[in-house]
Amino acid sequence: MPRGKGVKPFAGIRVADFSWVGVGPTVTKYLADHGAEVIRIESATYPEALRRAGPFVDDVPGLDRSGYYANFNSSKLGVSINLKHPKGQELARRLVAHCDVVAESFTPGTMAKFGLDYERLREVRPDLVMISMPLFGQTGPWAHYQGYGHVLQAAAGFNHLTGWPDGPPIGTGVAYTDFLAPHFAAIALIAALDYRRRTGEGQYIDFSQFEASIHGLWTAVHDWTVNGREQIRLGNHDIDAAPHGCYRCKDGRYVVIACETEEHWERFRAALGRPEWCDLERMRRKGSRLREQKEIDRHIGWWCEQYTAKYVFDLMQRFGVPCGIVKTAEEMFRDPQMRHRRHYWFLEHPVMGRRSYDGPSFRLSLTPGELTKAAPCLGEDNERVFKGLLGLSDDEYEALLVEGVLE
Amino acid sequence: MSAPKSLRSPVPLPHPDGPLSPYRVLDFSDVKGQLCGRLLAELGADVIKVEPRGGDPTRERGPFYRDQPGEERSLVWWALNAGKRSITLELRLEEGRELARCLAEKADIVIQTFRPGEAKALGLEYATLAKRNPGIVVVSITNFGLTGPYRHKEATDIVGSAMGGHMMLNGDPERGPVRTTAPQAYTQANVQACVGALIALYARWNNGGRGQLVDVSMQEAMANTMDNAQQTWDIRRVNPRGPGLRRNRDGLPGPRYLYEAADGWVACLAYGGLVGPASEAIVAWLAEYGEAGELTSPAWRHRLQGLQPLSPEEGAYLEERLAAFCRRFPKDWLVAEAQQRGAGWAPVYSPREIVECEQLRAREYWVRVHHEDLGETFVYPGAPFRLSRTPWRQRGRAPHVGEHNAEVYGELLGIDSATLRRLRLRMVI
Repeated sequence: MPRGKGVKPFAGIRVADFSWVGVGPTVTKYLADHGAEVIRIESATYPEALRRAGPFVDDVPGLDRSGYYANFNSSKLGVSINLKHPKGQELARRLVAHCDVVAESFTPGTMAKFGLDYERLREVRPDLVMISMPLFGQTGPWAHYQGYGHVLQAAAGFNHLTGWPDGPPIGTGVAYTDFLAPHFAAIALIAALDYRRRTGEGQYIDFSQFEASIHGLWTAVHDWTVNGREQIRLGNHDIDAAPHGCYRCKDGRYVVIACETEEHWERFRAALGRPEWCDLERMRRKGSRLREQKEIDRHIGWWCEQYTAKYVFDLMQRFGVPCGIVKTAEEMFRDPQMRHRRHYWFLEHPVMGRRSYDGPSFRLSLTPGELTKAAPCLGEDNERVFKGLLGLSDDEYEALLVEGVLE
Repeated sequence: MSAPKSLRSPVPLPHPDGPLSPYRVLDFSDVKGQLCGRLLAELGADVIKVEPRGGDPTRERGPFYRDQPGEERSLVWWALNAGKRSITLELRLEEGRELARCLAEKADIVIQTFRPGEAKALGLEYATLAKRNPGIVVVSITNFGLTGPYRHKEATDIVGSAMGGHMMLNGDPERGPVRTTAPQAYTQANVQACVGALIALYARWNNGGRGQLVDVSMQEAMANTMDNAQQTWDIRRVNPRGPGLRRNRDGLPGPRYLYEAADGWVACLAYGGLVGPASEAIVAWLAEYGEAGELTSPAWRHRLQGLQPLSPEEGAYLEERLAAFCRRFPKDWLVAEAQQRGAGWAPVYSPREIVECEQLRAREYWVRVHHEDLGETFVYPGAPFRLSRTPWRQRGRAPHVGEHNAEVYGELLGIDSATLRRLRLRMVI
């Protein structure tokens, strides 16, 4: 078989995607971009939060105009069902009977309220794999807590570990756990699908964004439980590497320089032309350099101010020193490596026009990911799914429309 | 042939119920891939960490157990390699490389972090391995990908964060960009690679059992953590930057979301719920403690429930009220009360507070891991996902250097103890 011409991994897998905002849709995007038929089930009566969040095309708000929503929903179909309507719930159950996977990220209890909990859904689809992905899981005193990735990153330790040691716990500038938790959820879901493929058995996955995100703290938990030490934010320093920092260059752009190994340090000294300060006794070993980071930053900071970021980057890399330019969103589009990898996909949307989408960070040689279409407009595929897949007659379909079931 | 029972090491703990229990993984990776391998082991796979003689360089990374360096004392090693078996193998010798190829014949997934071109020089790249085992999935995790103009560039975590566009979004308008001190570019490369590995494994069902190469880029993994910054540039031509205590809205610093409590900090969404559906309940709450100020007036009530954006002065007033209120109370109380009133607040927790968190305790999240070599038991993070039929399982401490040489070489390649001794003398293992 020629390269890249394999059968798509999830061909034949159909997903009923009741999830919303960041985490759930990112999980099902993995499936959709690799061949699954993912049907987003939404409602006009309570629209998906990201359809109401910018950036909007032309700065005009509208449910089919949000770039935020679009990016997480490539390659998917979109239907609208009012799940508060009893007939809507019945329609959803009929749809699930045709699906292999159900994904949802509501507050615990919401799906049960709609008659769409795992126990009831497996009656219509015994080998179903269902994953629930709220912030804090299905049980416990916080199970009903609301929030988004921006506040979850605080509970999960990322604020405590992001910022300067003499400043507040600013956290990342993004809804960070929305971009960490979904990968764990996708791992669990695909592993469950693999098991189902071998045994025919489905199952239910109770996924807590909080519990998964804690695995991104590296050694911070262990350092506390083993050594009784609490790691804290160190600005751009590192607990185990020096030099390690971010520096402003002559042209106002920032570079980062990091020496994790003694080899990196030797190359760094060479790149700088072996200045005297590097030869000081207290700079010779990493252990003592870790105590001299302020002085190290002063030297490197002063040096960087005299050159452009591009010059520093090229020079350091020529000597084999880990160094990077802090790139803006605009620069990411122009980045030669990102272009080479074709990370960004540009897809035509009926309302939004040609817009950029993120692809996966991996290239599969036999079955590469493919973003087959732009995000769906709300209810765009109602006829295709309800008539084509569920076999509703024109009359039945119209009756549902009239009764407000498809709103 | 199997090793005598007495030679069996106490780890990894068996995990026959894991969804990936039929699979075997060979892990040649550094910190960009070791968490990927660990997650596969916790789902049941037999994961064999391949180390050079003398131990993997990750064992030199601090922090260490009781701050004393030593090859079995690195917490980075513990955190990323628990649940695996360890063998030693010298890839600088052709005999070692051939042993690696023989092992890859018995594996489903190989995880590598070799530099571009290095795997080929070692005879361990996908094409060579696939000739002897067409089903093999080779996961290659590199700084920038296997091809392209930056493929030979050096990177560590902070470089991945900077060049991946994420770091520009963190930080403060005055102090510039900042990195999360726990390495997130490494984390992201690991977990996204794990997704890629499982998609490729699943693809074998549709493709006559054929495996493939999974080429993962740490830079791209970080580009996928840019929130809506790419779309914001694409649509609005605005470059978001680190907003400090605020959060970006449409690419520009929006309302403040972090406030100081009596005993730390809380994260409160935009204006803490003072705007939107919870506003009435939150204003009433502030009023109960005499901190609502003007907010109880009909004019303000109208403003808070309306759709018109607030003026900067109005926003500043809300932030001032909220800051004065939060300062008086402990964060856990604030969060519990705000949540009861329908506003999504969360506490800013440190590692200690996470370990003590009532939610995680109620869900019996933490696992106790016995280190029989140290005579101690430590608390580790628990299940990142709870599968009803095929559970996640923590499989004990990380392996010692070459702890499983006898059983792995014996079971997988039928190498007896005399041959093993010869290989050791020739410094292959």
